[in-house]
Amino acid sequence: MFDDLTSVMKRVLKFGVLLVVGIAFVGSVIGYLVAGVSGVLAALVGSLAAMAFTGLTALSVLVGAKLNLAGFLGVVLGGWLLKMVLFLLAFTVLNKAEWLTREARPIVFFTIVSAVIGGLILDTRIVSKARLSAEVKLL
Amino acid sequence: MQIIHLAAEAATQVSQVTGNLGVLGYGLAAIGPGIGVGLVVSKTIESIARQPELAARLQVTMWLGIAFTEALALIGLATPFIFAA
Repeated sequence: MFDDLTSVMKRVLKFGVLLVVGIAFVGSVIGYLVAGVSGVLAALVGSLAAMAFTGLTALSVLVGAKLNLAGFLGVVLGGWLLKMVLFLLAFTVLNKAEWLTREARPIVFFTIVSAVIGGLILDTRIVSKARLSAEVKLL
Repeated sequence: MQIIHLAAEAATQVSQVTGNLGVLGYGLAAIGPGIGVGLVVSKTIESIARQPELAARLQVTMWLGIAFTEALALIGLATPFIFAA
């Protein structure tokens, strides 16, 4: 059986969620040891942000795959632009949040970095293992 | 001699810059991935124009390229959490 764009993206999203849940759990334990309850919240926020950021791109590809090439690029690139602005605003608000103590702040950064790097390893593995066929159209 | 004078003048002006330097950080975090995603997409369009039957494979590869590039943007946006004074 060959894979198509949709099945690859669905697999990416499924395993991505599992990875982020794992990172959120490990991050929460480390966060609690370092900064108490604020550390747990920091780990949860960090992993949620990383999942939303990378997941939205995969989701936009999944949605865009149903459209023609211009529609696909519009959805993927437009979604990317919108996401950058939304994350800039979200991080600005989060940076001023008082419930995030000084000790807990690096936990947000390190959960984001580990979720992103872990996600990239996972994505590369899924894409390299996918059996994508070249659909030959006979005229 | 004039270049040294100009450099000294520029250094004095840079030291007088006021405001939030984090704004510059956002600009730097956005410019690299912006160029990167632009290159990935332009090359994918070129490849699909050359071989339309490979569109599905190229779209997956394009997404992987975007995922790697945007990782840099996300890390750049998150740096205030460790670099804040």
